Amino acid sequence: MSRHEISFRVNGEAYKLYAEANRTLLQLLRDDLELTGTKEGCARGDCGVCTVLLDGKPVKSCLVLAVEADGKEITTVEGLAKDGKLTSLQRSFVEHGAVQCGFCTPAFILAGEALLARNPHSTEKEIKEATSGILCRCTGYRQIIDAILDASKK
Amino acid sequence: MLPKFDYIKPRTLKEAVDFLSLHGKEAKILAGGTDLLVLMREEAVKPKYLVDIKAVKELNTLSYDEDKGLTIGATVTLNEIIESDIVKERFSILHEATSSIADYEIRNRATLVGNICNASPAADTAPALLVLDATVKAVGPEGERAIKIQDFFTGVKKTSLKGKEFVKAVEIPNPPEGSRGIYLKQQRIRSEDLAIVGVAALVAKNSAGKRQVRIAFSSVAPTPIRVFEVEKIFAKDRPIRELIDETVSIVSKKLSPISDVRGSREYRAHLIEVLTRRVLRELLEKGRN
Repeated sequence: MSRHEISFRVNGEAYKLYAEANRTLLQLLRDDLELTGTKEGCARGDCGVCTVLLDGKPVKSCLVLAVEADGKEITTVEGLAKDGKLTSLQRSFVEHGAVQCGFCTPAFILAGEALLARNPHSTEKEIKEATSGILCRCTGYRQIIDAILDASKK
Repeated sequence: MLPKFDYIKPRTLKEAVDFLSLHGKEAKILAGGTDLLVLMREEAVKPKYLVDIKAVKELNTLSYDEDKGLTIGATVTLNEIIESDIVKERFSILHEATSSIADYEIRNRATLVGNICNASPAADTAPALLVLDATVKAVGPEGERAIKIQDFFTGVKKTSLKGKEFVKAVEIPNPPEGSRGIYLKQQRIRSEDLAIVGVAALVAKNSAGKRQVRIAFSSVAPTPIRVFEVEKIFAKDRPIRELIDETVSIVSKKLSPISDVRGSREYRAHLIEVLTRRVLRELLEKGRN
């Protein structure tokens, strides 16, 4: 199996490392960089809890090869807060109690941040559309949608 | 865990063609990977090589020409198609069909060309491409060739591509002047599911006032399918209700739905009738075409 040198930025920090061809971006982030905020759920693109931003766009990192991230900019949930200060969307999740078990939370926050970046004043319909690829098995969708909606009004 | 393979990243179309000329049978093309990597994880396919074509610049173009129409390169993502103003304005049925696929995140990776090359009977872009008279541009060691979309699908997960060929782009001519199209899809839940039945219809009137109707389906036969047999009945000026009844009878005879986890054969047969009526009423009665 081929092995590849990968240069990329994760949460603003430059990395150069090696990965086997069959390694996914999800495995690279969790196992090699120990960024365990990104979760593994179904590992087949259905549940969306492995969401990260790839050049600013939310994607399911279980369906991206590590080598495909070469030259890209990755953002994980660990990269959002700056100097211990939460983003307004993260604060909104806290205020709305939009976290139950927390397993899907990083994914919803990243999908929400990407939505607000391209569309700062999103409607409920747009929020549902943008997050429909992520499953919350506690079914706490109402609070999650309210948290994003509230942040989009600010 | 994905099985082992070698990853190849050609920088030019020629490099890609040359590699596939040598290793076509053992290689799979990687574009979005949203179908392929799932199949590999399940070990349903075990390619020795994955050929990532995303660095080949000419495959990454979505372009429009007033005469030739729309060209969608092999690595253009579904979201790039959805966000295109020209697709929204001139090819709205394609905008609808691509918007109905999976979810926003998957559409950031998945490609239209991947959707047709995967050749699922449920491929959502296929009915729209069928009624839009799309052409598939394949490339291989012997050069390029054009395949009409209705000749592209040959069976469940099978296409008319030869072992060493791959799809470079899909070309879509301008739809008939003043035409309107709709894609309707019945599914159990939004986003994380495939169509139980999908139907695309395109309706136009030519300058002589002659009505033109095209209709195509997904998930009701071994391949996505356009039912050409209905098209001639619309040439005659008859009451719309009669035309719709006759269309339902022709498509019901032609299509061969099966039972699976998403729906029974009987339910699909019923949906074919309901959705055919719904799509044609919407286009013919409300649109007065």
